[in-house]
Amino acid sequence: MNQTPQGQPPADDLAVEIRGLTKSFGTVNALRGLDLTVPRGQVTGFLGPNGSGKSTTIRILLGLLHADGGRATMLGGDPWADAVRLHRSIAYVPGDVALWPNLTGGEAIDILCRLSGPLDPNRKQLMLQRFDLDPTKKARAYSKGNRQKVALVAALASKAELLLLDEPTSGLDPLMEAAFTESIREVKADGRSVLLSSHIFSEVEKLADQVTIIRDGVTVESGTIPQLRHLTRSQVTVVLGRGVDGLATTPGVHDLQAFDGHVTFAVDDQQLPAVLAAVAQLQPSSLVANPPSLEELFLRHYGTELITLNGQGR
Amino acid sequence: MTATTHPATQGAESAARPPATDTLAGTGTMIRLVLRRNRVRLAVWWVVLVGLFAYVTAYYKDILATQAALDDFAAVSNVPSIKALTGLAAAPNTLGGAVWTKIWMTCALSLAFGVLFLVTRNGRADEEVGRTELLRSRMLGLHAYSTASWLINAVLCVAVGAGVALVSAAGGLDPAGTGITGSLIVGTSITGVGLVGVAVGAVAGQVTSTSRAANALGSIILGAFYVLRMVGDLGDGRLTWASPVGWGQQMQPWGANRWWPFLLLILLTAALLALAARLEARRDFGAGLFPERRGRPWAPARYATPLGLALRLQRGPIIGWTATIILTALLFGSVVKAMTDLMTDAGGTAADLLRGTGVNALLSLLVAMIAMITTVFAIQSAVSLRTDEASGIIEPQLVGAMSRTHWATRRLLIPVVGAALLLLLGGAGMGAGYGSNIGDPSQTGRLALSALTYWPAVMVFVGIAVALFGWLPRLAIPLTWAVLAAMWFIVLIGDALHLPSWLLNLLPFSATPYVPYQELTWPPLVIMTLVAGAFVWAGLSRFKHRDLQPG
Repeated sequence: MNQTPQGQPPADDLAVEIRGLTKSFGTVNALRGLDLTVPRGQVTGFLGPNGSGKSTTIRILLGLLHADGGRATMLGGDPWADAVRLHRSIAYVPGDVALWPNLTGGEAIDILCRLSGPLDPNRKQLMLQRFDLDPTKKARAYSKGNRQKVALVAALASKAELLLLDEPTSGLDPLMEAAFTESIREVKADGRSVLLSSHIFSEVEKLADQVTIIRDGVTVESGTIPQLRHLTRSQVTVVLGRGVDGLATTPGVHDLQAFDGHVTFAVDDQQLPAVLAAVAQLQPSSLVANPPSLEELFLRHYGTELITLNGQGR
Repeated sequence: MTATTHPATQGAESAARPPATDTLAGTGTMIRLVLRRNRVRLAVWWVVLVGLFAYVTAYYKDILATQAALDDFAAVSNVPSIKALTGLAAAPNTLGGAVWTKIWMTCALSLAFGVLFLVTRNGRADEEVGRTELLRSRMLGLHAYSTASWLINAVLCVAVGAGVALVSAAGGLDPAGTGITGSLIVGTSITGVGLVGVAVGAVAGQVTSTSRAANALGSIILGAFYVLRMVGDLGDGRLTWASPVGWGQQMQPWGANRWWPFLLLILLTAALLALAARLEARRDFGAGLFPERRGRPWAPARYATPLGLALRLQRGPIIGWTATIILTALLFGSVVKAMTDLMTDAGGTAADLLRGTGVNALLSLLVAMIAMITTVFAIQSAVSLRTDEASGIIEPQLVGAMSRTHWATRRLLIPVVGAALLLLLGGAGMGAGYGSNIGDPSQTGRLALSALTYWPAVMVFVGIAVALFGWLPRLAIPLTWAVLAAMWFIVLIGDALHLPSWLLNLLPFSATPYVPYQELTWPPLVIMTLVAGAFVWAGLSRFKHRDLQPG
């Protein structure tokens, strides 16, 4: 199923290549032609609202589900047919970790590790310390965050070439999120690849080299973070000595609001030099510019557009 | 960069599933996991089943020391109630035959149900909660976990069979000069029925998408096997051959000493396991045979009440148990006449075991069996109080403006009222079946009321479930079922346990008047109702004051 007449052979520099993937459950269409690539040695963010098909995509990559149509290639193999061989080189962390209640966390980690590819025993110990996990406790006594840590330790202790992380930090406190960020940076420094599904924008912005955004099982945006930022606008707040003469009509300025000398507006990033020059003429006493965030991009896609689409009775 | 929308599918390129490779990778690790998780359960099943067989062997060897005693035992065993409940040995007047009559059915069926539940526990249950997903993300083949679980359970079946054969040979159940053929056959027949239980559990776990449904489907199939052979044993024996449990019986240790029915059991096991593996290879992870249907987007107002919500959540079991009761009752009713024609042969010696002869005694036995089925329903519904607490779904209800007592009492209406309805329905169904055979429509009402006599006894079990829920929440579910299993054991083999008769008579089912054979007497019914009420009160008043304990 890998080689289609119209498709290209999987490129060697891609850890994951998905083209036009479809999957339905009964009458529910979970994926409707999804595209996603994960370049080797990079962290790819995978953003989408609840129920948009992120977990379905990852479960297809894990060989747990079989796609109805389209093409998915992981590390050069077929995720369904070659599942066991491919799993030697991957590690997975789900967003909701279920463990055997009468086994300890340490036992669960060892069972998972025994089923993986090569392991780094020192790294397991390091991860236990870093995530502050007591491996002698029975899993039924763990909180959600601690169950999450079990899966994280098992995944990060492996030398997996590709990490598939499905909202991996859900239930972790900020300290542990920092430990997670540090670990992923190490993975990246090793030249390994990561697919990071999340809806925590700051996490993705911090870690990801590129981002794919999906909605309703279809890719709506994908590119590097600077590329995506270009699609959106910086938010600028200035305090002006003079009036706002003509600023509102300057090309690239949007949604200008002025109140008592405080002026806020949005700027297309391409027009930023011209707009700043215009602002400088108005003797600003203060200027704050916020770069566009992924969140804004996200809201633009899921806020207004979703409402419009729903309004059309989709 | 921008949205690219593909057509719904790029053709049929992926429609056909390529076979997965390395489907057994990691089986060794999974075997260790299954052993680690179930070591206590596996050991307990082996000790209990083999120990039971050993105990009955030793006891009967003691009390049935002469051929005259064995002949007497064979005579009193040749009655419909024994044939119905446990089957009658092929050679009832041998020591081995006597032990077989007493305990073979209990051992074989317990093993089949035990492995059914173990297969679900390590199969569908793990998949349902997501533990298997974590394992399958590693180097674990498609069939590795299932194969490990089936293998370990099959080994338990073989170990129990071997233990029974050993106990039987060592206990001297084989008549002089026959070697140990009978002992080997009795052990093998128990192994064979157990293996079918493994296979039934394997298929049920592939067809359904929840562990609860898998256990229910498997139990219904094993229950149907039991009832089929029961009707067969009471009649001309043909239906016995329609049931794998019957194949095990027909190996006839110390009688015909047949090996070939074991082949049937093995073939059926192999066929069902192959079907299960095929289903597993063709479905998505987490899915059953049928996709989840969409439901309505709103809830009727009654779902906001504990009773309304519980009725909705327990709809499947309620429909399933009602259908089971009606079908069983109609089957019972339709064969009563045929049985009574055979019964005249039973003779006077049967009197004390059957508690008399005649059609009323037989009807009383079948009414009691309807009551047993109803009890399983009532307990299942009553322990759901604890299930909801353990899973945490009780919390959104209790944080609303609702007292715990209100929640619990409304929930208990289902087992309390439901049991009465099922008893009436079962009795009436049996009466209708029997009445239409003998042209007496009044049987419907008569037997419906006879069955209702068991309501207080059923309520005692509901009370025990609630009391345990209140006082020992973490152990409540297994302990409640253990109480029922213990009563069942005591009814079947109580005499062999040297238990005093006053204690045996105190058991809820023994204390209930044996209607319609016996006169209806009110005091035991009133006392049991009061006892049940006291249990429920004790449980609920404790529940009101204790901490919620999520599982």
